[in-house]
Amino acid sequence: MKTTYQINFAEELKKCVRCGECRANCPIFSESKREPDSPRGRLALVKLLQDGKIQASAELSEKLYGCLLCKTCAVNCPSGVITDEIMVGVRDYLDDVLDRNIIKKLVLRGFLTRPALLQASFSLVKLYQKTGLNDVLTRSKLIEHLPETMSAGAKILPDVSKRLARGRIPEVVKPYGEKRFRVAYFLGCATNLIYPDVAVSGVDVLARHGCEVITPAVQCCGMPHLAYGDTDTMVQMAKNNMKVLLSAQVDAVVTDCSSCSATLAESYQKLFEPGTVEYNQAKELSSKVYDLSKFLVEKTGIQPGPNPVNVTVTYHDPCHLKRGQNVFKQPRELLKAIPGVDFKEMKEADRCCGSAGSFSIMHHDLSMKVLERKISNIAASKAAVVATSCPTCTMQLSYGLKSHGIAGQVVHPVQLLAKTYKIVDYP
Amino acid sequence: MIEKSQLVKDMQALLGPEKVISSKLERYTYTYDSSFLSQLNEYYPDVVVCPMNTEDVQKIMRYAYKNDIPVTPRGAGSGQTGGSVAVKGGIVLDLSGWTDIVEIDESNMQVVVRPGIVHADLNVVLSSYGLFFPPDPGSSKMATIGGMVGNNASGLRAVKFGNTGQYVLGLEVVLPDGEVMKTGGLHSRALKSVSGINLTSLYVGSEGTLGVITQIRLKVLPKPPVRGILLTLFSSLDDAAATVLEVFKNGIIPSGIEILDDSGIKAANKFQPDLKLPEAEAALFFEINGSKAAVDFEGQQVKEIAEKRASVVEWATDPQRMGKLWQGRAVIGAASARVKAGATRIFCGEDVCFPMAKVPEALRRIKEIGAKHNTLVVIYGHIGDGNMHTAPIIDPLKPEEVEAAHRVADDIHQLALELEGSTTGEHGVGFTRSQYMVAEHGKALEIMRIIKDAIDPKGIMNPGKIWVER
Ligand SMILES: Cc1cc2nc3c(=O)[nH]c(=O)nc-3n(C[C@H](O)[C@H](O)[C@H](O)COP(=O)(O)OP(=O)(O)OC[C@H]3O[C@@H](n4cnc5c(N)ncnc54)[C@H](O)[C@@H]3O)c2cc1C
Ligand code: SF4
Ligand code: SF4
Repeated sequence: MKTTYQINFAEELKKCVRCGECRANCPIFSESKREPDSPRGRLALVKLLQDGKIQASAELSEKLYGCLLCKTCAVNCPSGVITDEIMVGVRDYLDDVLDRNIIKKLVLRGFLTRPALLQASFSLVKLYQKTGLNDVLTRSKLIEHLPETMSAGAKILPDVSKRLARGRIPEVVKPYGEKRFRVAYFLGCATNLIYPDVAVSGVDVLARHGCEVITPAVQCCGMPHLAYGDTDTMVQMAKNNMKVLLSAQVDAVVTDCSSCSATLAESYQKLFEPGTVEYNQAKELSSKVYDLSKFLVEKTGIQPGPNPVNVTVTYHDPCHLKRGQNVFKQPRELLKAIPGVDFKEMKEADRCCGSAGSFSIMHHDLSMKVLERKISNIAASKAAVVATSCPTCTMQLSYGLKSHGIAGQVVHPVQLLAKTYKIVDYP
Repeated sequence: MIEKSQLVKDMQALLGPEKVISSKLERYTYTYDSSFLSQLNEYYPDVVVCPMNTEDVQKIMRYAYKNDIPVTPRGAGSGQTGGSVAVKGGIVLDLSGWTDIVEIDESNMQVVVRPGIVHADLNVVLSSYGLFFPPDPGSSKMATIGGMVGNNASGLRAVKFGNTGQYVLGLEVVLPDGEVMKTGGLHSRALKSVSGINLTSLYVGSEGTLGVITQIRLKVLPKPPVRGILLTLFSSLDDAAATVLEVFKNGIIPSGIEILDDSGIKAANKFQPDLKLPEAEAALFFEINGSKAAVDFEGQQVKEIAEKRASVVEWATDPQRMGKLWQGRAVIGAASARVKAGATRIFCGEDVCFPMAKVPEALRRIKEIGAKHNTLVVIYGHIGDGNMHTAPIIDPLKPEEVEAAHRVADDIHQLALELEGSTTGEHGVGFTRSQYMVAEHGKALEIMRIIKDAIDPKGIMNPGKIWVER
């Protein structure tokens, strides 16, 4: 199977001894309890495909898309099978050989590459959400391609903010006091559109920690494209983003979104053959990419402001931050450094919340089952605020709390830190 | 003969479509367990059903009985013998979704569970009552209790706590014709009973060949409050074996005594680099559990005995260090592959059991077998009861290496018989070891067959296992 995503299927697949240990770890299997939904089952199907015993089909792709790419199986596999990467690789292959699902293609290729269209699509879904069954969708025939559960899934999408981060944040923000670092803030799509306040806080907090912050005009990191196998589009985005970020002459590229940091730091390298110019660029970029909490804890040190934030906080580990980048101590350290914060660890803090980008929209029922367990763990922690470092987790958790009638707020850790200063909002 | 498409329709009508898996793609994921042999063959079931109550199972069995359709019960499919694979097609019963705990009878120290509950999950629940179900297979996180009863599984702590069978007080079984039977007394909550012929023990380890186990009453024990782990390294295998013997002779029964040979030590280090085990011919892990005073005292005694022969002795009671050491052993099964780049471990010839006194000889002979067939074999296991796990490390994409691994497995099984051991200490027979049963049991195998034929006259329960088909 030839793919853009660099993976040797035969070598990776043969490592699986079919011990079944991953049945214990997979959040999807633990809801369905059926072998075809287990990591071992998915791998067995990919092996059939790799061995040429079956052809790519809609049924196969449905099975292989039923994975959250949460990496839980991979980090716990005694044989070192990188199941999530195999899933990414095989989706890349399927995308090339199968008819693409129109809605996915539309959202991904069309919308995410053109920010104006993405805003329109969110508004469209919002409209859909408000009116139940909207005739714009019906007339455009889009509705035929929406899975049945998508109408429910659309409810997860919160209102699109009227004041997007891009445009609110100046292109260059000067450090408070002496300049220690020059940092590029990678403004991800979801943060920009849905949680712009996170970026506003992030940039301000970085500036307060001695950073000159630029917010370059980047495209989507490409994670949604990767998840849906559209590596052709992603390669173009990666090339563009690498050019912009590497020419910005910065000490670090920082982002509040764990999917963006995982993609920039890890996935870009997998798109190009070792030895090529692009591969080397991806490697160079990777060495500069930081999750926001990690950068603040490890590079600048946390310097909170004088105002206490008296609140109990728990933390949800986004999959791509903990298992993807081994970043889990830093956000907790940041939270614990905030005066007034009473930190409560929840049970299974690193268990996937079921959002996985658009998984919650495309596989709504399954995603809700996974979410249910997370919400009960949050409720048991008795924290008033859930902090997390990923906008799609934030969306999913906010929806979960609301639908379970639990009062509680979901924020990025940096938003709490920002509260300790007199927060500056840009006009 | 029922047509396959009709079979699927009938199952859907009997159970409801949501409990039936029929597409060929999905059925493929039921063609294997962890045995290597099952992965080389594609034994497709005609249909997979997921019963969620005894009535479901009864309906399926009545139908199968009437229409002569093979039925294969399946738990997690973590077995290593192809036991849960439908070698004759027919119906696979995926019981792993039926996970209820029916009752925790704290004051009578027993629990009643449905077959699909996973061993580790049950113990998590029990621990909040201060109880535990002692047998602990390396597959604790995935193996179901139904599968453990099916195979009479045991594990790392069998030295002190024995195997699953010692804890099964009674079973609810759906018989091949769909009738329900209860063993161990219809209403009994007794912890001991010798009333009648012991049908419970007949079913334990019967590998799904006598009926479907739908409910299990298990004896449980108070959870030992304290444990300690003694790691010891030996420059000679004989010294390791002599140490184990001396520990027993001093009246100490550790909860587990595990061995890794030199290749096992390498694999453990590769999997968990912070383990930092020094090179040696053998590593022994002693686990001692019980009250604090007993653990301190026995730990000290074992340490002193080990120091006579071992080059390294480390006694750990710090939970983190203990967890690391014990996990290094627990995961070795799958982690063995790490010793050779580009290779993987396979499960075949993996469960031989030797008389205690012959373990050093057996380990040397296994190494010779590996050398003879040019195959690296990692050895680890439960030296406390002579149960050795052997892991051929091969590149499964190379046919000559696969062929050599089959010969290694065959030689190892023959060795077990030659040294007056058993071809399987805990994993069972399935279809991967049925060819050795005549040599191992002689007349007794015929009697087993007579019992089987009496209970399952049509031979529909898990055919193709234990006995080579006549
Ligand atoms: C990494 C690894 C480590 C292991 N370590 C150990 C170990 O330390 N000790 C040990 O004993 N085993 C071990 N095993 C083997 C295996 O996990 C055990 O045999 C376990 O008991 C199988 O449980 P299962 O739920 O996977 O059953 P399956 O493999 O699905 O089935 C096992 C057998 O039981 C029958 N069966 C299952 N459910 C029922 C039922 N409800 N009614 C009737 N028959 C039924 C099946 O037909 C089959 O014959 C290990 C396996 C792996 C992969
Ligand atoms: S992916 Fe890993 S844990 Fe899962 S069955 Fe394969 S080897 Fe075992
Ligand atoms: S990545 Fe997550 S959802 Fe996907 S198979 Fe692994 S554990 Fe399951």
